[in-house]
Amino acid sequence: MDGDLMTINMGPNHPATHGVLRLKCQTDGEIISGITPVIGYLHRCFEKHSENVTYEQVIPYVDRCDYLSSMTMDFGYVVAVEKLMNIEVPEKVEYIRVVMAELQRIASHLLALGVYGMDMGAFTPMLYMLKERERILDLFELTCGARLLYNYMWVGGLSHDLPRGFVEMTYQFLDQFEPKIDEYDNVLSNNKIFVERTADIGVLPPDVAVNYGVTGPNLRASGVKWDLRKNEAYSIYDRFDFEVPIGEGIKGTVGDCWDRYYVRMIEIRESVKIVRQALAKMPKDGDVHKAVPKKIRPPKGSIYSRTESSRGDLGYYIISDGTPTPSRVKMRSPSFASLSAISEISEGWMMSDMISVLGSLDIVLGEIDR
Amino acid sequence: MSRYFRNIAESLSSLLTGMGITFTHMLKIKKGNVTLQYPEEKWPRPERNIGFNHEDYNVIRSRLTVDINDCIGCLKCERICPVQCIKIETEKAPVRGEDINEINHVGITSNGTNKVQVVTRFDIDMTECCYCNLCTYPCPEECIYMTGGPNSKKHPIDYEFSEHDRSDLIYRFAKPGTKEGIQKVKSKQGAQS
Ligand code: SF4
Ligand code: SF4
Repeated sequence: MDGDLMTINMGPNHPATHGVLRLKCQTDGEIISGITPVIGYLHRCFEKHSENVTYEQVIPYVDRCDYLSSMTMDFGYVVAVEKLMNIEVPEKVEYIRVVMAELQRIASHLLALGVYGMDMGAFTPMLYMLKERERILDLFELTCGARLLYNYMWVGGLSHDLPRGFVEMTYQFLDQFEPKIDEYDNVLSNNKIFVERTADIGVLPPDVAVNYGVTGPNLRASGVKWDLRKNEAYSIYDRFDFEVPIGEGIKGTVGDCWDRYYVRMIEIRESVKIVRQALAKMPKDGDVHKAVPKKIRPPKGSIYSRTESSRGDLGYYIISDGTPTPSRVKMRSPSFASLSAISEISEGWMMSDMISVLGSLDIVLGEIDR
Repeated sequence: MSRYFRNIAESLSSLLTGMGITFTHMLKIKKGNVTLQYPEEKWPRPERNIGFNHEDYNVIRSRLTVDINDCIGCLKCERICPVQCIKIETEKAPVRGEDINEINHVGITSNGTNKVQVVTRFDIDMTECCYCNLCTYPCPEECIYMTGGPNSKKHPIDYEFSEHDRSDLIYRFAKPGTKEGIQKVKSKQGAQS
């Protein structure tokens, strides 16, 4: 045919789009020549809502933005408000927050990797990974009653102290979890079929990644060593000893889908390390409500604060006009930047490779649409 | 050519590794490893003790309930709710802390607070509630809480409630007839004095 392009719509309801996302794919035969993501199907007016509720009431909304990684979302928000109000948080709270955020990172990556395997036709690893994720959610449920949307971190503290036996249970979990990571490597990471479908596919060069503002594991897979936990250590991350893994192109080129997958796998190991250190160093006593202000009423001013969520650089820009209600809350969503790079990296690949690229970016639509 | 055969060999070996792992999992099968037959079996909920010390706090997330006899109508829970799904109306009681038998109003809470207000309306719209638990913390009388867990003696856990009509999911906790009753009581007292 004389080079006519065909438009194929993928989504808004498609099992491989991980949420309600529509991808308008321009295809030449089976080769992709351009993708336009159409977003907004999950828009919930987060930013407008925040202007009408008080600072503490924003937290349940923040939870719902990235529903697979609520703890890290809360973490970013409370850190921002605390900076705005100049609150010093008790030691114990900091440690608990780090433990929660890292457990959440493990849970989020497990889901991402499992579902990615499923996109690539490997169903069993997903079941194994989700099983471990359930254990983490059980720990969260024990702590704050909820399995997904926690509202656990408050400005200046936490909603509750840790329950009795939490530390032992977490150790127990980590002990049985660590050998499982090797198992995942055997069953999925080194599986020939999986490698063939992901290695050398959808290479994201470092300069393109930086230009698009891609952050988090996706950026690190392209070989850029950038992790806010190390580079701009917020909270108490400077006290822990962990590596920032980068993509090395073991199975193909640096920055291919397999690298993006594998960086997350190593990050799980690093998070396990951080959780162990934090549990060991955590002070026994301390009141988690000590620094919670009676009335959250930050002084006039604004703040931009960023933290490393499971998906990358999560920024909050908060303007306060001195009332208990924020005048503006803007969220910088890491998935949004990752998704915008999809057209560039899947150009020239086949339709089925595009699924591989999309899965490896690990986007959450709740956070993109907000 | 050799690459072709190498690929086949590698695929086969990685398939066998995977199969090996699944097979060992199959041999190690035990309860908790397999699918739960949901409506018959349920995953046990972790238990924490009741108490308003932070360590012991009841942290369950389920349907909200209110002990209306203990509620003093301070509106704290209504104000904190981020989705405004709690609606409370109150009426000043004629005498502070006194029972009003006509409308079954109890004047003193179980914590010993003398009530100033009569709660004439206390609706929680559970279709709007986002289960954030924010309303349960500020309550001075500890009378709004989520069912189950440590409270299960008073209210067994209820997290799987459904109704045919959406309006049935608006739970009304104020005693029916309070609104008219309190007005009648007041006008009677006004006539007497
Ligand atoms: S749990 Fe949250 S949303 Fe539900 S009634 Fe209480 S404050 Fe409102
Ligand atoms: S906070 Fe408690 S006492 Fe006050 S109105 Fe709500 S339920 Fe009643």
